Amino acid sequence: MTREAAPSDGADAPDIHGRDPGAFLEEVHSFEFWFQSVEGYLSEHPYGVVAGTRSSDLTASERDALISVLSTYCIGESAALEGASGMIRFAPNRHAKIFLATQCVDEARHLEILLHRLRELGVDDPENSIESFGHPSLREFRRRLLEFVDARDWEAALFAQNVVLESMEFAVFHAHQQTADPRTAQILEGILKDERRHMGFGENTIGRLLDRKPSTRARLGEIRQELDALVFGTFEESLRAVGQSAAERPEVGRLYLDTVARLGFGA
Amino acid sequence: MTALDSAGFDPIDEEAGRESAGTGGARRRFALEDDTGFDEVPKKYRRFYRKWRGPEDELAPNEVVCPVCKIVIRSARELREGDRVYCMPCMSRLVVVRGESGRLEATVRY
Repeated sequence: MTREAAPSDGADAPDIHGRDPGAFLEEVHSFEFWFQSVEGYLSEHPYGVVAGTRSSDLTASERDALISVLSTYCIGESAALEGASGMIRFAPNRHAKIFLATQCVDEARHLEILLHRLRELGVDDPENSIESFGHPSLREFRRRLLEFVDARDWEAALFAQNVVLESMEFAVFHAHQQTADPRTAQILEGILKDERRHMGFGENTIGRLLDRKPSTRARLGEIRQELDALVFGTFEESLRAVGQSAAERPEVGRLYLDTVARLGFGA
Repeated sequence: MTALDSAGFDPIDEEAGRESAGTGGARRRFALEDDTGFDEVPKKYRRFYRKWRGPEDELAPNEVVCPVCKIVIRSARELREGDRVYCMPCMSRLVVVRGESGRLEATVRY
């Protein structure tokens, strides 16, 4: 994996971490970087799973709980799909516009594979069912996010979508993956690989924005207070439904709390 | 060790070294190989990252965990306080610091 180099190993070879920061940011926000990244884990994974992966036998109540949770995830993914696509129009620079375009594709894929999984679980019309099965708090979150987008409010929309929603999704999907049936676990693992980019883009872009414009902090803090309850409530319920113990749930929330703490938003 | 594609890379000891504390003598160098199964970045960069296996995961002297996305970042050299590292999976720029536990950690620089 990693071993100390002998002189013959080419120990003078350059290290990626010596790159110029501007060149790093230019590359990681590019379509080319995205394309070469997803190629590694999307190929040969139709609908997010390796062909032939079996699902474990689910009881009726386990199946119903999974349908409810995946429907809630679909609402989050459709919110991000509509949010990211709308934000391209008023994103402040080329890096952000191209990144959001790649995020749109990611979110569209997530929504498609989750709907496909719902069909596998016996839901006849998942597109229409997710609204009734999904959690009402996340529907309210989606409404609020799209209000920010419609108002072309870059700071609020980016914070709500790529910091609050994405980091909570990352934490919950990661926790759910540990206990999910093999097909659902593979789907979630693939989604998590995309979510790293999405939440990293959110935290880093908001962090740079706050460095330049500290006055924004108070307003984003108020938005955070408003949205926290909606997202925490949703994912608390989802974790309970997939069998996460009450003792483990605060650990899941910590990743989100650590993210907002790094940005300077206290508890 | 497979040769890196050096196009666009700066030599290790130039830019990154300026931010390093630069104490403690010569650094150990490490041969990185793309053998961890990590597939979330373009192939030419995969050797610089691996999955984190949780708090029990013992890090090598050339590794730190990204606090943003919990991926292990690897360098071809021993890391020291003040070094800059990049997390490509979440697009973060980080600086190596010594944490309260005494171990090296990475902190994000926006």
